[in-house]
Amino acid sequence: MDIGTISLILMLALIVLLAIGMPLGFASASLAVLVLVMKFEPALLLNPFTFGDGILTGRPGTGPLYILAQKIYGLLTDYVLISIPLFIFMASLLERSGIAKDMYSSLNVWLSRSRGGIAIVTSIMAVIMAAMSGIIGGEVVLLGLIALPQMLRLGYNQNLAIGVICASGSLGTMIPPSIVLIIYGLITETSIKALFTASFIPGFMLASMIILYIIVRTRLRPEDAPLPEPDPSDPEPIEKRKLFCAFLSIVVAGFSTALFIRAAFFEFSGSNAANDGEPARLGTIEYLPWFAGITIAALFLIFVVFGKERSRISWHMGKGLVAPIVVIGVVLGSIYGGITGITEAAGMGAFAVLIIAFLRGEGSFELVWDSLMRTLKSTGTIIWVTIGAASLAGAYTIAGGPQYVADLIVGKELPTMLVILMMMLILLFMGAFMDWVGIVLLIIPVFLPIVLRLPIEEIGFIGQLEPSQVAIWFGVLFCMNMQVSFLSPPFGPAAFYLKSVAPPHISLTDIFKGFLPFIGIQLVALSILLIWPNIIAILL
Amino acid sequence: MQKTTGGIVEWLIPLAFVAAASWWIWHLPAFLLDWLPYDSESLRGQVEAIYLRSDITPNMPGIFGGHIDIFDLAALVLTPILAVIGARSVRAAAMEYEGASAIDRVSLFIGRVTMMMIAVMTMVMLYEVFMRYIVEKPTEWANEMTLWFASFVFLMAGLYAMQQRCHIRIFLLYDVVPRWLQRVFDCISTILIVLFAFFLVYGSYKQVFVNKLYKWELYGSAFNPPIPATLQPMVLIVISLVALQAVLNLIADWNKEPEIHTDEPDEEEIQMLKRAVGQD
Repeated sequence: MDIGTISLILMLALIVLLAIGMPLGFASASLAVLVLVMKFEPALLLNPFTFGDGILTGRPGTGPLYILAQKIYGLLTDYVLISIPLFIFMASLLERSGIAKDMYSSLNVWLSRSRGGIAIVTSIMAVIMAAMSGIIGGEVVLLGLIALPQMLRLGYNQNLAIGVICASGSLGTMIPPSIVLIIYGLITETSIKALFTASFIPGFMLASMIILYIIVRTRLRPEDAPLPEPDPSDPEPIEKRKLFCAFLSIVVAGFSTALFIRAAFFEFSGSNAANDGEPARLGTIEYLPWFAGITIAALFLIFVVFGKERSRISWHMGKGLVAPIVVIGVVLGSIYGGITGITEAAGMGAFAVLIIAFLRGEGSFELVWDSLMRTLKSTGTIIWVTIGAASLAGAYTIAGGPQYVADLIVGKELPTMLVILMMMLILLFMGAFMDWVGIVLLIIPVFLPIVLRLPIEEIGFIGQLEPSQVAIWFGVLFCMNMQVSFLSPPFGPAAFYLKSVAPPHISLTDIFKGFLPFIGIQLVALSILLIWPNIIAILL
Repeated sequence: MQKTTGGIVEWLIPLAFVAAASWWIWHLPAFLLDWLPYDSESLRGQVEAIYLRSDITPNMPGIFGGHIDIFDLAALVLTPILAVIGARSVRAAAMEYEGASAIDRVSLFIGRVTMMMIAVMTMVMLYEVFMRYIVEKPTEWANEMTLWFASFVFLMAGLYAMQQRCHIRIFLLYDVVPRWLQRVFDCISTILIVLFAFFLVYGSYKQVFVNKLYKWELYGSAFNPPIPATLQPMVLIVISLVALQAVLNLIADWNKEPEIHTDEPDEEEIQMLKRAVGQD
């Protein structure tokens, strides 16, 4: 059977199987068998009694079908895949500890007197949580539990409150570490570290656009975000700024001390001398005076400029932020400090959260047990979609599918940006119905080869990408697309997560209505990525 | 109020199971050498050399006059015993779907075992990070041990997810059609899953069980764990079990009332998060 027919049948069959509610992973896995049958032994379809005669079924126990087992085996022994359960484990530990609650209180102290303060706090908190782990869901629920009641009590505009929580809560997959980017990198064999680095600026751009929107909207319509009653024990604004600077000095002092100890340890334990590869980043002797200087300067600020008493108060106000900052330092520091890989970073992060939970007196065997159970469930569902899709991708590649589709599209000589725009529309449309896991595993293996063969000078309008950066750019673009899909009706998961904890009078329609301006913001961010693709290359 | 799970016994039985099963899987060549003699002398020599190199208890005399020693046999006998005890004593947590049949209980117990394996593999990985970056004596075995454990975790988590009916599906059409049509849909899904399992096993059993398991293929690294030899058979075994579970699910859910599926998180998850932010 020729590959055109196979592709057509495959697409139709996939749509039918997904529509009847067959689990995604198994639908793709059984279609993988179908593709192999169509490719090697189409006679079997018309006459099942020829079973055992053809290339595929002629030799029991071996033959082309073994490719499927090999594909699955190859996927299961991919070291990076281990980071997925570890990140999930870390996220569930994080959600079950009180770290988020304390972080919220600490952030709130600094911004409670500004217009739209709680909405901004919610966004900032979402960004910090996004930088700790890469899972959404729990994040939206947590923000819905902590911030929504407070915003509604203060008389915030309901749509604004809902939109801020869900749009910011979805940032988890845009800001590294992100589980979407890990799976994208895994199946397209793109460097995950490069994907993380590339998504930093687009992620923060989106976050700042959300915050900017809050500020502008609440300035224009102050009735959307009433200020809370002034609290007499709350310090004056100028005093508050000083307190904040004092707190920052404490954090800086802590970090530079830690880095000083690390560099000194590397130097004097002889590990730098023994290291003949790339030197440890910020871990060599040249940095020692710098860290020492920064520490002394920060200590000077703490004890002399701001004074001991003020620093003590500021520590009390801000200490809820310390645990998250430490966790981010451990995870991102492990990845970018050149210490460990993504997988180890995820393990270290989970360990750090566990230690913090025990220090806070919340750690228990019950906490670990529940988190493990949650991890098991999510791992089983995500990995098995991956297994099914890996088999299908393997079978389809052997049949020459991706090549055929790419030839077809590229041969049409459509304008490059039109092709990409159409892909974006397909992704947005699919995103409204399907989980991101399914999209990344089923659609990206077909789309990426096409994008890689488009003329590179025609991608974007400002600046030009390096050939090696196209896959990375498309990954970030895809991630931005998924941001929209988390919010888009009728199945945007963020809406359902929020619904589960929102007061009963808020209906799903209300929630989706609140999303509209934020979907607009996401689309603007998406078009910036399309118009100016080089934005991903700034940090690379 | 549902009873909470996670008591000390529920930790220990799965852990003991992991320990016993790991022991005999590691010493599997001894069983192959003694019970399934090799025709080819060179192959026998190869497997024996591998076995002698990796034997944990080299000084124990073999019973049955061969390579199996008393610990290996004890581990092999203990494994099913622990599985039976575990499956009988396992209780579903509030967030879990509790099946009725014995197979459901086995799947639940396998879930517990997998949970323990996640914990063990995380600890092994952290031990390696500690040894490599603090003590600077990297181990040879820890990374591959993590990989080996993780690959088993991935497979077994799928069986658990099947028993919990939490594999990712699209309910768009499914939820609006009448119940009889839903049954038809379920039948098609189940038949296709069984067909997939059949073709996979049919198309690779010789490669997997003879060329990998029987010839005890190693990973080809310094530590050289038998990952191909154990993982590839496991793929076929677990996928067959998943197909079996799918059939059982179909039977068990045949008379179930239709329900509307949403993406909302389950009640226990929300309770848990409420407790975490201090709103009981």
